[in-house]
Amino acid sequence: MWKVGSIALGVAMLAGVGGAYAQSTTAEVWNYYAAGSELAGMTALIDQANAANPDTKFVSKVIPGNVVEMRRQLQTAFIGNKPPAAYQTSMASELKTFVDGGRLHPLTDVWAKIDGDKIFPEGIQRVAKINGVPYGLPFDLAEINNIFYNKAIFAKLGLTPPTDWDGFVKTCDALRTAGIEPLGDAGGPFWSLYNFYAPLISTVGTDGYYKIARGELAFDSPEFRKALELYRDTEVKCYAKNWSGKSWTQTADDLINGKVGMYGMGVWVAGYMKQAGFKPDTGYDTFPAPGTGDKAIFQMDLFAVPEGTPEMIKAGEEFVTTVASAKAQEAFATNKGSISPSTEVDPSVYDVDFAKFATQLATASKANAVLPNLFFLLPTDVGTELGNQIEKFAIDPSDATEHDVISTLEAARQKAMADNAYTSW
Amino acid sequence: MTSVAPARRRFYFSQRAVHLLFLVLPVLLFVTFFIYPIISTFYLSLQDWDGISKSMKFIGMANYVELLHEPRFFHAVLNNVTWLIFLLLGPTGLGLLLAAILDRGLRGERVFRIVYFLPFTIPAVAVAAIWRWVYEPTSGLLTTVLNVVGLGSLAQNWLGDPHVVNFALMGAVMWWMTGFSFLVFFAGLRNIPVECIEAARIEGATPWQIFWKVSFPLLWPSTIVVLGISAVDAMRLFDVVWATTNGGPAYASEVLATQMYDVAFGRFDMGRASAISVYLLILAGAVIMPYLYYMSLRVQASEAE
Repeated sequence: MWKVGSIALGVAMLAGVGGAYAQSTTAEVWNYYAAGSELAGMTALIDQANAANPDTKFVSKVIPGNVVEMRRQLQTAFIGNKPPAAYQTSMASELKTFVDGGRLHPLTDVWAKIDGDKIFPEGIQRVAKINGVPYGLPFDLAEINNIFYNKAIFAKLGLTPPTDWDGFVKTCDALRTAGIEPLGDAGGPFWSLYNFYAPLISTVGTDGYYKIARGELAFDSPEFRKALELYRDTEVKCYAKNWSGKSWTQTADDLINGKVGMYGMGVWVAGYMKQAGFKPDTGYDTFPAPGTGDKAIFQMDLFAVPEGTPEMIKAGEEFVTTVASAKAQEAFATNKGSISPSTEVDPSVYDVDFAKFATQLATASKANAVLPNLFFLLPTDVGTELGNQIEKFAIDPSDATEHDVISTLEAARQKAMADNAYTSW
Repeated sequence: MTSVAPARRRFYFSQRAVHLLFLVLPVLLFVTFFIYPIISTFYLSLQDWDGISKSMKFIGMANYVELLHEPRFFHAVLNNVTWLIFLLLGPTGLGLLLAAILDRGLRGERVFRIVYFLPFTIPAVAVAAIWRWVYEPTSGLLTTVLNVVGLGSLAQNWLGDPHVVNFALMGAVMWWMTGFSFLVFFAGLRNIPVECIEAARIEGATPWQIFWKVSFPLLWPSTIVVLGISAVDAMRLFDVVWATTNGGPAYASEVLATQMYDVAFGRFDMGRASAISVYLLILAGAVIMPYLYYMSLRVQASEAE
C-alpha cells in the first residue's frame, strides 16, 4: 500500500513538473559574454526579457570566445536543426552570410512594432539590415576611434589633446622625450586595424571608406597607399616598444601605470580601467583620433533570430522586442559599460565618459557621419585579411612589407569581386 | 571418426562467429568516428561551402590547387615540420636527462617526480594563460628575471616578434610536456634489471658508459613510445598555439590545425579548410606511418620469440 502510494505520488509530481514545463517555453539565448561587466549586462537583459514575457523562460547560454566560436557552435546547431531562439552576433557581413545561407528569420514585424527606423540612427540601421530587411536587433555599441590618454602625464608635461596629425606627432615626441612610450597598441588582427581607420579616413574621406567597403577602391590605389604611409608616419611611429606582444588589457595596464601616454582602443577599455580603479575624471580622458573629430566609427553587437520551429521563432521575436525597449537597452548599457544604439535611451543614465561617447555618437549621427567598423563591412575573408595585413605592416612598416601588404590585399579584393562577395552598404 | 570432424568444424565456425561478433562494435565505432569523417572531409574539400548555406557547389580539386599557391599555407607546413623536430628532440631529450639524473637515487626523489610531472597535468588553455603573463614583454616574469640578473639585453618581444614567437611557444611547450617523457623514461630506467648495471660496473664501466652502452639501449621501448607520441602531438598541435597567439602575429606562429580552424570558422570557407585537413592527414601519415610500420614489425618479432 505504501509502495502504491509512493508511486502515485511520484507520478503526480512528474505530472506536475511536466505541467509546469508545458505552460512555459524554455528558450536559449546564445551569447559570448561570460564574465565581469559583460556578464552583468547580459544577465540584466535576460532578466528584463523574463519579466516582460512570463510565458517564456529565457536562459542565457554562454559560448566561450567570440563571434568565431559562435559561428562554429551555430553550424553544429543548424546541422542538428536545434538553433537557439536568439543569438549574439555582429553586424553587416556577419549577418549577410547567415541571411544568404537562409538561416535567419527576418525581423520585419518586430522592427515595425518597435519603430526601428525611428529609434536607431541611419548608420546603425544600414548594418542591421540586409537588402533593406532587418535581421539584427542592435543592443551593444562601442566607438573605436577614440584615443585614451593619461591625464596626470599630460598635465605634468603641459600637453593638450591634439586635433590634427602634426599635433599628434608632436605630442608623441614630447612623451618620448620625457621617457614615456607615446602610444599603446596590442597584438591581434583588430587593434592596429582600428587605429588605422583614422589615417584611412583622413586620406580617403567617408566616401572613400565606403568605396573600400564596396570593393570600388582598390588596395593598390594611390589613395590606399597614401593612407598606409600616413599611418606609418604617425601612429606606427608613436607605438610603444614591444606593443605587439601585449594583449589589449595588458596595454590598458600600461596606460594606468603611466608606462604609455596614449592608447587608441574601443571604449570598452573604459570599463576595464574603471574596474582597476582608474577613473575618468581623475585618471584618464579621451580625444577623437585626428581626422575623425566629427565622426563616430563603431563596433556593434546585435541579436539575431535563426529560422527554426514556430515556437522558437516566436520566443526569439519576444526576446528581441524586449531588448529593443529603452529600459532593457539602458539596463545593458549601464551594467556592461557601453552605449545603447537606441536614441530613446536618456543620455543622463551614463557616467561621465560614456555620456561623452553618447554625445559623440549623437553629434555624428546628426551629421550623418556614423561609420560602421570596416572589418565587418568587407566580405569576411577580405576583412580578416585586412586586419592581419595591417598588423603585419604595423610591426614592420618597411617598403617591402608595404608592397607585400598591398599585393596580398588586392589579390583578396579581386577574388572577392570575382565571387561577387561585396555588398553595397 | 566421421562424427568428430563436423563437430570440430561447428566449434571452429562458432568460435569464429564469436570473434567476428566481438569485432562488430569496435569496427562500427572505427568506421563511424574515423573512416566516415575522413571520407566526409575529403568530400567537403571538393566543394565551395561556407558552412552555413544549405547547399554546396562542387569545384573539384580547386581548393587543393589554390592552397599550393598560398605562401601562408607553406608557412604553416614549415611550422609543423619545425614543431616535429622540436618535439622529437626537446621535451624528449630533457625528459631523458631529468629521468637519468633522478634515477641515480637523489634525496627528495618523490618531490622531484611530482614537480617534473605536474605541468603536464595542466590543461593547454591554462598553460597558455600562464605563459601569456610570463612572456609579457615589459613586466612579465621572464623579462623581469632577465633584468634582475643583469641579462636584460636578452629580453625579447616574446609573443609579438614574428621571428621569436615560435621559439617562445616552444619554451612553454617544453615546460608543459617534458613531464610526460620524463615519467616514461623514469619508469623505463627503473625496469632495467639491476644485474645488467652491476655487471657493467664490475667490468669497470664509467657511469657515462653505463648509461649509453647499457641503460639507453634497454630504454628503446620507452624511447619509441615517447617519440611516437611526440610525432603525433606535432601533427595535431592546436590548443596551446591557438590559446596563446591565435597563430599570430600576422600568421607567424600558425600551424596547419590553427589555419584550418581560422579558414573554416574565421573565413567561412569550409571547403578550403577541409583541403588543409586532408593535406595535414597526408603529412601526418608520411611522418607517423614509418613509426607504425616499425612498431608492427617489433610486435611480430616479439610474438615470434
